[in-house]
Amino acid sequence: MMPAKILICDDDEGILDLVELVLKEEGYEVIPEINSLNVANLVGSEHPDLVVLDLWMPVLSGDQVLRNLRNDPTTKNLPVVVISASGDGKTIAMNAGANDFIPKPFDLDQLLGRVKALLEAA
Amino acid sequence: MDSLHNGEFSFSNNTSKQDFELLTKALDASLSGIIITDNRQPDNPIIYCNKAFEDISGYQRSEIIGHNCRFLQKDDRNQTARHILRDAIDNGTNAVVDIRNYKKDGTLFWNELYMSPIKDGDDQVKYFIGVQNDVTRRKKAEDEVKFNQAKMEQRIRERTRDLRENEEYLASIVQTVRESLIVLSPDLKVLSVNDHFINTFKVTREETEGKKLYDLGNGQWNIPELRKLLEQILPTNNPVTDFEVAHDFPHIGKKLMLLNAHRIELEGQFKDRILIAIEDITDRRAIEQRKDDFLSIASHELKTPLTTIKGYVQIINRLIKNYDDEKLRESVGKTSLYVDRLNNLIGELLDVSRIQSGMIELHKAPFDFDHMIQETVGSIQQGSRNHEIVLTGQTGVQFNGDESHITQVVTNLLSNAIKYSPDHKEIGVHLSVLSGFIKVAVTDHGVGIAKDEQAKVFDRFYRVRDVQQKFPGMGIGLYICASIVNNHYGSLWVESEPGKGSTFSFTLPLTSNHTNKNGGDDAR
Ligand SMILES: Cc1cc2nc3c(=O)[nH]c(=O)nc-3n(C[C@H](O)[C@H](O)[C@H](O)COP(=O)(O)O)c2cc1C
Repeated sequence: MMPAKILICDDDEGILDLVELVLKEEGYEVIPEINSLNVANLVGSEHPDLVVLDLWMPVLSGDQVLRNLRNDPTTKNLPVVVISASGDGKTIAMNAGANDFIPKPFDLDQLLGRVKALLEAA
Repeated sequence: MDSLHNGEFSFSNNTSKQDFELLTKALDASLSGIIITDNRQPDNPIIYCNKAFEDISGYQRSEIIGHNCRFLQKDDRNQTARHILRDAIDNGTNAVVDIRNYKKDGTLFWNELYMSPIKDGDDQVKYFIGVQNDVTRRKKAEDEVKFNQAKMEQRIRERTRDLRENEEYLASIVQTVRESLIVLSPDLKVLSVNDHFINTFKVTREETEGKKLYDLGNGQWNIPELRKLLEQILPTNNPVTDFEVAHDFPHIGKKLMLLNAHRIELEGQFKDRILIAIEDITDRRAIEQRKDDFLSIASHELKTPLTTIKGYVQIINRLIKNYDDEKLRESVGKTSLYVDRLNNLIGELLDVSRIQSGMIELHKAPFDFDHMIQETVGSIQQGSRNHEIVLTGQTGVQFNGDESHITQVVTNLLSNAIKYSPDHKEIGVHLSVLSGFIKVAVTDHGVGIAKDEQAKVFDRFYRVRDVQQKFPGMGIGLYICASIVNNHYGSLWVESEPGKGSTFSFTLPLTSNHTNKNGGDDAR
């Protein structure tokens, strides 16, 4: 069986590296992306099984990216986990149509657990 | 009786003695003093006085006859009356004066003196007749009236001055306060406004005073919230304080105002006038908002690298499982502990700032209280395998409140309980419903808190340093907890004995019809 493909977008390189490392360790195929403007294209070309999305990013914020995905019939059911250090992150994420929300800083086991659960449910 | 004619005594031979006795008897019967002086003698000596004159003056006849009458003045010589008499005598005319005289024993009396000359055929004054009345009492009464009148006038002058001063004083206060003030008549006409009002709302006194409030500046004061305050709230809840009104004024823009309104209930000419004080809190709110925004951004930015650190510490933790190095493992363990503490502090920073500016937002919604407790206990239990959290009781309640805030309270109490009972494994959480209140009690068997420290643990930020030396990490957390519980109209308290442990309890009322000052319990 092909490993699940996960796209992660965060404007912070440290977090990007960390999550990539952990997810790869777990056996997933990971596409890290630092620029939120590229997410839509990457989703179209790479067809990830799940997206991990930061909220506060320059130019195009995570919830805008998410709304665009939800408005597109081909990605409207794509599992998306939002991660954010923002106090009202959960409300924003859920309103935009996220499947799950994990506040930063997160526990790695928690992140892996949620990702796994969502992939299995899909 | 024809003895007296031409102003001269003339006694007929046969009747003279009889007539004279009759005359002296008549004069002695008079209540007025009567004297006759001989103007032809040097210094006008008294040649006759009646009985009443003796009585009035207190002198005896023998002490009177032959003297000039000025002896009655004693040393009180500087009187206008005296000069009037002097002139009258020199000119040979009548005079009527009130003059201060003194009895033999020295008592003052007011002498109403009528003095009149008796002239001979060639217009020479031979005698003077003086008629005296003691008018001290009348004079006193008159003086009293005059005195009272003067006093009254003085008082009126003083009162008027006081009033004017008061008015000026009050007016100067009214003009100095940094709030806008309006006085309205019962039918909501503007009676007066202070300078601050004029300046803040950029209007003139002419276009404001005397106009209906709702008509001011093309109806820009016809604000629904203000109407509600004046027409619905104030008639039954007088006075109203801290009533918030937001309005976009045509020229000056959006204003956030805090109003105090007071209807005068005192009977009298001012009854039912309405005083309104308006505080412009637009800028203050904006500053608070900016501070809040700044802290939100700061905490977000701080948490971002912290996320990476926490992640790598976790990875290191996993990797060193293969190394048999106790010191290394302990160091990494401590690192992750302090990373968590740093994370909590960053979160609390924002909370404290919000609480202190009264901006803590409540997102109230009904939730399953017992379920929330189970979840919270469960997640804390997971992270601290060394302690056993025993949950007893239940509420069975759908509580209407801010779930995430109350979760924060329970989490805080539980992590404190664990932190301060390192050697005692059991932590108790007990739920109950008591006459309209939910009660949650968290009990540990740890170090406990001395009586005089118990109140301090809920203290504000500035005391934290104190508290933190004894109870590191406890101060801000409990302060926030207490604020959250208060925001739900409940209370949070501690019972504790050093060495035996502590029980932190909080209650929350089940009925949510608690109104705050603004007449609603919604989040602001
Ligand atoms: C008839 C007569 C009655 C007078 N009775 C009084 C009197 O009762 N009390 C008084 O102070 N002076 C009385 N005088 C005024 C004084 O005798 C005196 O004329 C007055 O003080 C003015 O004069 P002088 O400035 O030399 O004192 C009377 C004078 C006359 C002629």
